[in-house]
Amino acid sequence: MVEFKVHRVRFFDYMPSGIRCMAFHSKADRLALARLDGSVEIINFSNNYFQEKVIPGNDSRSIEAICWVGCDRLFTAGLNGEIVEFDLERLCPKYTLDAFGGPIWTAACNSEETHFAFGCEDGSVKLFEILPDKIQFERNLDRQKGRILSLSWHKSGTLIAAGSLDVIRVFDVKSGHSVQRILVDKGPAGTHNKDCVVWNVAFLSDYTIVSGDSVGKVQIWDANKGTLIKTHLVSKWDVLSLSVSENEDSIVAGTSEGTVVQFQLLSPTIGDTETQWIRTRTFKHHTHDVRAVTETKTAVVSGGLDTQLVICSLLDKVEVKPSESVLRKVIFPHRTLVSCAKKPGLLLFQFPDQLELWRLGGTDTVGKPGESLPVTRKPEKLLQLKRKGDDHICCSTISECGQWIAYSTVTSIRLYQLQCESNNISITKVSKLPKVLRSAHQLQFSADSSKLFVASEQATIHVISLSRSECKHVHTFKPKSGSSAPVHLLAASADGQWLTSANRHCEINVYNLKKLKHHCMLPVYNSLPSAMAIHPETNNLLIAHADQQIFEFSTVDKQYTDWSRKLHKEGFHKCRIKWHTPITHITFNPSAPSQVMLHDTYMFCIIDQSLPLDGLKAQFYSQLTPKDMSETDRPSKTNAFKMCTKYQPLLHVNVLEDDWLVVVERPLIDIHSQLPAPVRQKKFGT
Amino acid sequence: MATKRRGGVDGRRKMNIDVKAVGLGADSSDDEDAPEEVTFEKAKADAVRSMRNALDTIKRDKELLKEKRRKRQELFQQQKKRKLLSEDVLEEIELAYTKKRKTLDSEEQEKESEEDESSEDEDEVVNARLKDSYKAVRLKDQIDANARQESASDFIRSRLYGPGTNRTTTNHMLSLKNKTGMNKTAAVQFVDKNWGSEKKGEAEKFKKRWIQNQNMITN
Repeated sequence: MVEFKVHRVRFFDYMPSGIRCMAFHSKADRLALARLDGSVEIINFSNNYFQEKVIPGNDSRSIEAICWVGCDRLFTAGLNGEIVEFDLERLCPKYTLDAFGGPIWTAACNSEETHFAFGCEDGSVKLFEILPDKIQFERNLDRQKGRILSLSWHKSGTLIAAGSLDVIRVFDVKSGHSVQRILVDKGPAGTHNKDCVVWNVAFLSDYTIVSGDSVGKVQIWDANKGTLIKTHLVSKWDVLSLSVSENEDSIVAGTSEGTVVQFQLLSPTIGDTETQWIRTRTFKHHTHDVRAVTETKTAVVSGGLDTQLVICSLLDKVEVKPSESVLRKVIFPHRTLVSCAKKPGLLLFQFPDQLELWRLGGTDTVGKPGESLPVTRKPEKLLQLKRKGDDHICCSTISECGQWIAYSTVTSIRLYQLQCESNNISITKVSKLPKVLRSAHQLQFSADSSKLFVASEQATIHVISLSRSECKHVHTFKPKSGSSAPVHLLAASADGQWLTSANRHCEINVYNLKKLKHHCMLPVYNSLPSAMAIHPETNNLLIAHADQQIFEFSTVDKQYTDWSRKLHKEGFHKCRIKWHTPITHITFNPSAPSQVMLHDTYMFCIIDQSLPLDGLKAQFYSQLTPKDMSETDRPSKTNAFKMCTKYQPLLHVNVLEDDWLVVVERPLIDIHSQLPAPVRQKKFGT
Repeated sequence: MATKRRGGVDGRRKMNIDVKAVGLGADSSDDEDAPEEVTFEKAKADAVRSMRNALDTIKRDKELLKEKRRKRQELFQQQKKRKLLSEDVLEEIELAYTKKRKTLDSEEQEKESEEDESSEDEDEVVNARLKDSYKAVRLKDQIDANARQESASDFIRSRLYGPGTNRTTTNHMLSLKNKTGMNKTAAVQFVDKNWGSEKKGEAEKFKKRWIQNQNMITN
């Protein structure tokens, strides 16, 4: 039976950053998302909307526009005047170019992907040529008086529409001159003092321009004549984002009050061939400004200052699965930001700019199941470690014994030794690290805290031996397939013999630490692994994938275990299909070796490997506590799966000794209370 | 046009002077006399002369302007030269780059040992000046860039959160949700103990002061 005492932790002040802009690449089915702190995330839509890659941000980098070129090149431009190309294999900026035009407000790539246009603060539109390994400045178009806030290429690549303050200009690319000037009206009286900022423009292939501005209008203009075709007053506040679908029959606009409005090209009367842009749907999934919006073939994706990414399927376009038609919200990161040192009861929280080390509190009282016990020893914050430099922390870890802490940014790795007596804490930095360590995608200490495993670029894993005096580089593992995809998961066995790594190409490699050789590679499964752990006793590898599948692999026999095959026959995934957040952590119960604990954002569950798997379709929850049930009832109600949704939303769950459970929650209201100010909406009756 | 006019005026003045001279000479010729006849050839010659004068003045002016422009250009070039680094340092830097490339090649080829020997001295001198970890940056550019970035972020902040944007607090928004929800509860500032600590502190102080005032009034 499973009974635990729970440390319910809510002092992790995790605060995500708002979404600024996004770009969807339809062929690769990936969305690149840029946040206000400069970090870039890549979300794989075909892999259950899994957050595939995260490039950490930088204090000096601000992103205002993001653009895909081809399937694998990503460019951003920001207010520091720099254009950055990112390396998606090493997860860091490849190079930065200064555009010499002041802060860059917008960027757009033409449909042939040969040229880039950047709109700058000084009023110039700069054209850059895209070369296979870099971009090069070509020329400036005619400089205008106001700052250029939005750009859009025409499909033919000969005209560019640029939105500025109170005016939209159409430039001829070849000559560089402005061929058309469209004055945008400032809206109804009362707003005449401020300029009307054209936040977005979109140039359609039939020479119409769609613009969204700060008065709240979405206007449709004729670019050839420079006249207004239609005005839609969408909101009282700004229209901050606009996106046109690929076949140009639908436009989506996001506003400051959190609504997303869709316009479709339809004919007002049935049977009529003349079509107009008609406002069709309104979505209200956000509470704060919607600063980025885009449309895929089947869904509308929106993100804004409330830090949530909302993917809303358009029901008339969804074809097959009912699970696809549900509203998805990506709120929390799809990896774990909390590390736990089990023996001393320490938690390490990873923030972008610092690490915090807390000791868990305790209680001396004993209670009945379901009761909350008074805290006699309060949790204390032992350490706050600030990072050096501008780059944000990308990964961190603490050893099991709690004596070593390591974290890595894009440019450096730091290792610290911690001495933690009853009331005194001292931390010393390990200064001389082996030169081979430059940056890490993932860090992991071995179970006995004698080695540090560093997953570096090109999917190599360095093994560093730790001791009080010095750290030596012992070995480097390279994957046999030669793939250079970044490694995002590492797991070490309890006896120190096996090390497994999972990389972004869905490859999982097992390395033998005693012989320092590559042992085997698991058969590649299409979905990305989201959590991985090695059983302390049987040395079986448990892997959870982004599509909620769980596999168990025996490292010794080099094949899937019988339990894993039985699990798939029974169809475990059918029950889990309702949950849309991936499993982020797998751990084991030290006092009951057959129990596996895994959790995602909204639930944690315990799978008992020794119990039969037949009752899957039967009742999933055990509402009654075991002590309440009579002796005869117990065996029939036992189920291999037990799930608990009492603690939500979860950031981390771990099992300590003596049947203690640590549950790190982050209530959404705590995040909402720290968001920037929303618009004032007058509601009737309040 | 002006020159022509000038030439014309001069010509006319001259002619007038001539006429006056003739007029003064002959006392009898006054208003009643017809003006002296000027032959066609003379007039033509005068006109041609005046046009030539005009063209000459135009040419002269043009040349003067050209001179001026050339002088100004030279002056600017000199000023620019003064601003840039001196020629020798530029040459040295160029040499350093070419030497670096050459030294890399020479590791593969052994023929260029002579060149290396001669350029080693220059190399050392240049390396002493420009170490790899240093980079020369103009401070003025940095300050300008920061100022522009500041003004850009100020623009967007004032547009989204500045005056006239009608923003409210998160407390207000969440309290509205509480009020209009299915289970109507109090505003978040009352319910959540961490919120509005300043306002609660002020309220406490006000309460104390009021109680003191009341006590003083009754006493």
